[in-house]
Amino acid sequence: MHVLSTDVAIIGGGAAGCYAALNLHRRGIKPLIICKGLVGKSGASLFAGNLVISGQALGNSETQARNTAEFLIKYHNQFLIDQKWARRCGEWIEKVYYPELEELGLYFRRDDEGNMVTSPGAIRSIAANVQGNSGVPFMDLRRKQILRAGIPLLEETVATALLRNRDGDIRGVFCLNIMTGETFAVQARAVVLATGYSDRLHKRSTGTREMSADGIAMAWRAGATLVNMEMQWWHTNDIADPPTWQRMQVYPNPMLGSEKSARMVNSAGEEFFNQQQDDPLAFGPYTVQLKALAKQVHAGKARYDGGYFAGFDHCDPAEVEQYTTYAKAYRQLGLQFPQQLVETAVTSHYRQGGIDVDTATMRSSVPGLYIAGGVGGHSNGLIGLATYDGKVVADGIEADFTGLKGEPLSESEMEAEQRRLDRLRNSSGARVSPVQIKEKLRGIMWDKVGVEKDAAGMQSALEDIEQIRLDLLPDMAIANRTLVANYEWLDAIDVINMIDACELITHSSLQRKESRGPFFRRDFPATDNTKWLAANVLQKSGNSLRFEQRPYDLPFFQPGFEIRDNLEVAW
Amino acid sequence: MLTPTSAASRLGQTENRDTLALRNTRFAEDDFIDVSVRRFDESGARSQSFKVPYRKHMRVLDALNWIAENEATDLAFRWICGSKMCGSCALRMNGREVLACWEAVEPKMMIEPLRNLPVIRDLVVDRTPFEEKVARLEPWIERSAPYPGFPEPLSHKQMKDASKALDCIGCMCCYSACPVIGLGDLTDFAGPAPLVQLGQTALDPRNSPEKVKRSLALTGIFNCISCYKCEEACPAAIPIVSRVIEPLKAKTAELIPGMARHSHALRAIIAARGRVDPGALILRVQGLRALANFARIFRLLLRGKINPLKTLLVVKTAATAPARRLLHGKAAAP
Repeated sequence: MHVLSTDVAIIGGGAAGCYAALNLHRRGIKPLIICKGLVGKSGASLFAGNLVISGQALGNSETQARNTAEFLIKYHNQFLIDQKWARRCGEWIEKVYYPELEELGLYFRRDDEGNMVTSPGAIRSIAANVQGNSGVPFMDLRRKQILRAGIPLLEETVATALLRNRDGDIRGVFCLNIMTGETFAVQARAVVLATGYSDRLHKRSTGTREMSADGIAMAWRAGATLVNMEMQWWHTNDIADPPTWQRMQVYPNPMLGSEKSARMVNSAGEEFFNQQQDDPLAFGPYTVQLKALAKQVHAGKARYDGGYFAGFDHCDPAEVEQYTTYAKAYRQLGLQFPQQLVETAVTSHYRQGGIDVDTATMRSSVPGLYIAGGVGGHSNGLIGLATYDGKVVADGIEADFTGLKGEPLSESEMEAEQRRLDRLRNSSGARVSPVQIKEKLRGIMWDKVGVEKDAAGMQSALEDIEQIRLDLLPDMAIANRTLVANYEWLDAIDVINMIDACELITHSSLQRKESRGPFFRRDFPATDNTKWLAANVLQKSGNSLRFEQRPYDLPFFQPGFEIRDNLEVAW
Repeated sequence: MLTPTSAASRLGQTENRDTLALRNTRFAEDDFIDVSVRRFDESGARSQSFKVPYRKHMRVLDALNWIAENEATDLAFRWICGSKMCGSCALRMNGREVLACWEAVEPKMMIEPLRNLPVIRDLVVDRTPFEEKVARLEPWIERSAPYPGFPEPLSHKQMKDASKALDCIGCMCCYSACPVIGLGDLTDFAGPAPLVQLGQTALDPRNSPEKVKRSLALTGIFNCISCYKCEEACPAAIPIVSRVIEPLKAKTAELIPGMARHSHALRAIIAARGRVDPGALILRVQGLRALANFARIFRLLLRGKINPLKTLLVVKTAATAPARRLLHGKAAAP
């Protein structure tokens, strides 16, 4: 088995993984990036529409600074967050993040007179070049930094398993080059998982093609503790058709250089959401939108998969197009902009939860395994937060570094993984292709573990998933056994991870017996701060699961009520 | 006068009744699309045909996904975001470069991989030659003055060309469409996409001229024939020639005059004579080496392309004065 050696193997090439690599490199620790897609092109970071102004940067008032923190804790994380971590992160974003990015050359959009263009209001934001496309130049800059620093980069290479030493500490990664079919191992003193917030586990998902919960599944198999896996966030107005555009959002946030934001209209033509009017504090108003939509769905005036519309017909087109990309999608579909609205639907977006971490060091519960960005269970997504993790994980690894030893990898473990991959490539069942199993699984999650769920539906989902595992997987067939660019083989590897992750999410969703923010349970419609202002911690216990609760400290912001109908809670 | 605009990709569409509105309304829900996909593996190339049911607002990528789910589960094609951000799904549909996720389907589609790049399998091309060219140009900023702190003084006026280049998603549509890149190693032209990637920082006033000069020296930029094929193909609607390549050519002419000898000579001849004198141009660019190619000179003489007498006497035309005004006055190109 071909084995590469490095100090730290980083799995994931988004904002968190790249920044971790750059920070480690700066400290003289050798990183290596394993990216399933292409750095600067894959993952969620590319989708950053705009960048929230933190603290008192760019003339933010004290009130605006406080609003931003309150937004993050309430609307973005429903109080399921370490508030002290959030404060540290906010300070870093204000003092280090923006200046560092600008010094590197990131272009924060100005007007012709040289003023930074912001979205006005209770919470302000800026954009890199154009609003709606900020992630593109942002991640392109990271790609070029990685290139310039000479950091080894393995692209279109999937990490298929974490490798352990005799004590169970993580010391390596098993990899498959998707383009050539070559397998190899990376031996490292530590591994950073940075595989992102978003996985394609529902019929409609913002997760990109390669995001199949690999990080969650590999960490779980290695024994890592998970947290709040049920806390799934949703986009409420992503374009309904074509399916390819399921993650293309009609951004509900305030527009740069304008007092307006997109409006949402039900099937009867009645407006039911407009962020700047309805809830100025909900900067990224996804949960508020979702609750507004749920009321429309209950009234029969919309469906979660369509039948309602979003757009800018109340705006001057020049106002929308000056600093945003928003008009392009409408025009590409042949719609009149801004007169015509586009049909939209719900899409599963970020997962607030993930792998349990120590937020001071980004250690997971498994020695040698560190976490950065969205795959962690400590916060919900914003590109600035994910980036901050890249710094903290480098701090954590640097502090632990002398205690982390490189060790030869176990031959038998590597051989077993090789055999598993070969078996998948040689799948010769009669019935079903891997991509069909993926779609079936996504259908189950959408129907039974979707926006609104209850115990009966979720139990039935678990049975369906078990049936996939027992009946369909053995009958999986691959048409072509080539080693070259074999996406069918990759789908077969992915689907096993997806099945595991879907089960864990469903179990966690059953466990949280309340509704909170975007987590709607028909059988427990109230937000219950007396019992559930707590992390829903999930551990492996032999061959079964063990749940426990861990309450959050609330030093700066508190919900201010005990029990209330979730649909009547603002956040 | 015809001025190049960002709408190169839409030229002729209205005349040909090929507007976005029409492209999006020509199908009904129960229509089928005829798709022929060029497949390639170690055993060679072949075409495979499929009938794909239309669904609302269908894109080329939706059709490929339908095929991979229902007919040819081993069809290899690259895509990541599905929403025109990653630029990984570019291919050729009916002879033109498109982003599969962005382009509406057509009733009959011939789908092929991009040109000018090695094919790995089916529609998946090897991005390495492109990425290596980009890396060689070192497309980043080296400041000549220390960074003054956030936010630094900078206006959109100063960034207007770089800002256009920043819309690039590296899809390589233009790289596939470029006829000069199609010549292979005959020129040292970096190609449109690498130039746009370079333009992001080379047209940024914060970058040091020394750094920009070093990068531009490696571009072979004057091999660009300004045919606008790249602009026509760009799914991000970047005015590649007018807002990126031309400004980069102007920068090269200023920073590395030797690379722009042909352009400088052409301008000087037009200013002096009010017309293009091919004989003078050959002499100025190639010097006396040009005389060594007897056969060519003879052909040019025979066809009346050159007139040594006129060339030596520097015969002026009535257009000399207006030409000088155009080249040196306010209306002159940068």
